[in-house]
Amino acid sequence: MYHVKHTSQRPLEVVENWEAQVRKGWLELAILASLWQRKCYGLEILRKLEEGVSLVVAEGTVYPILARLKADGLLSSEWVESEGGGHPRKYYSLTPLGRQRARSMARYASEFFQNVGSLIEPLIQEGKR
Amino acid sequence: MNHPPKIQARIDSYLMNLRRSLGNLPAEEVSEILREIRGHILERAEAKGELTEERMVEILKALGRPEDIAPLYQAEALVSRARASLSPVLILRGALRWAMVSLRGFVSFLVALFGYAMGLGFFLAAVAKPFLPDRVGLWWGPGEYGLGVRDAAPPATELLGWWIIPVGLLAGTVLVILTTRLLRFLLRFAKFGRPSAAAG
Repeated sequence: MYHVKHTSQRPLEVVENWEAQVRKGWLELAILASLWQRKCYGLEILRKLEEGVSLVVAEGTVYPILARLKADGLLSSEWVESEGGGHPRKYYSLTPLGRQRARSMARYASEFFQNVGSLIEPLIQEGKR
Repeated sequence: MNHPPKIQARIDSYLMNLRRSLGNLPAEEVSEILREIRGHILERAEAKGELTEERMVEILKALGRPEDIAPLYQAEALVSRARASLSPVLILRGALRWAMVSLRGFVSFLVALFGYAMGLGFFLAAVAKPFLPDRVGLWWGPGEYGLGVRDAAPPATELLGWWIIPVGLLAGTVLVILTTRLLRFLLRFAKFGRPSAAAG
């Protein structure tokens, strides 16, 4: 479960905790974004997410999020038999509501990164020196 | 598809732990979750090179511990069911779950508890009146204020008389409905943490 931590934590923990919070928020957008072009099953989404900054700590956490996004009406799902008679895969796709939500989240994210980018630019420049 | 017994035993025990941890979810949801996670494991296992027991341990470790994953399903499911439900029991359980992870949830839980307790109080007063006519009432001084059952017929003024039965039933119903509506609204804002690396 998620623990609320208080002042006794070490500086490293503070940063780890902050990272977990940030990751959590972006993970939802990243999942919606990974479904933008076509339907995908869980592992496919995970592979797409692995390409960039690691948003996923435990792979298993993605599945409950998918279940919730589906319960919220942002995603729909269907079981598809894989070629060659392997195990069936559960494919997720964006519903119209999901597309709408993903688009407005993406808009927010893009503005957010521009602002944060210009704010943290000096820190990175200074770090290089 | 068959894996060596030791590897198969790893998979089976992981899925069994997950099933056990998922406990009170509806059976068809549980079997769908297990089917999906089994697919994940099998496909990871097919991916590259020879499948050794060590690689299977790695695959399962990357997935996370069943005890950490299952509560995420439960919390999400409980709250989305409570959001759509009219049952005070489900709503209280959803709010309690939320109360354990955030202050906002805690306050919502207290509001729910207070609202339902008040509603129940009105109901009980209405039901108890025929049995304890002199002791149940809405008391207004001296010495006694408020609604409820008093030890013996108190000297205080009783405001409602037999009206306490319809008034109690009505007020109880209204309070329960209002509390339910308010909580369903509040639960829409419930958010749950995911297990972080530190908590894992």
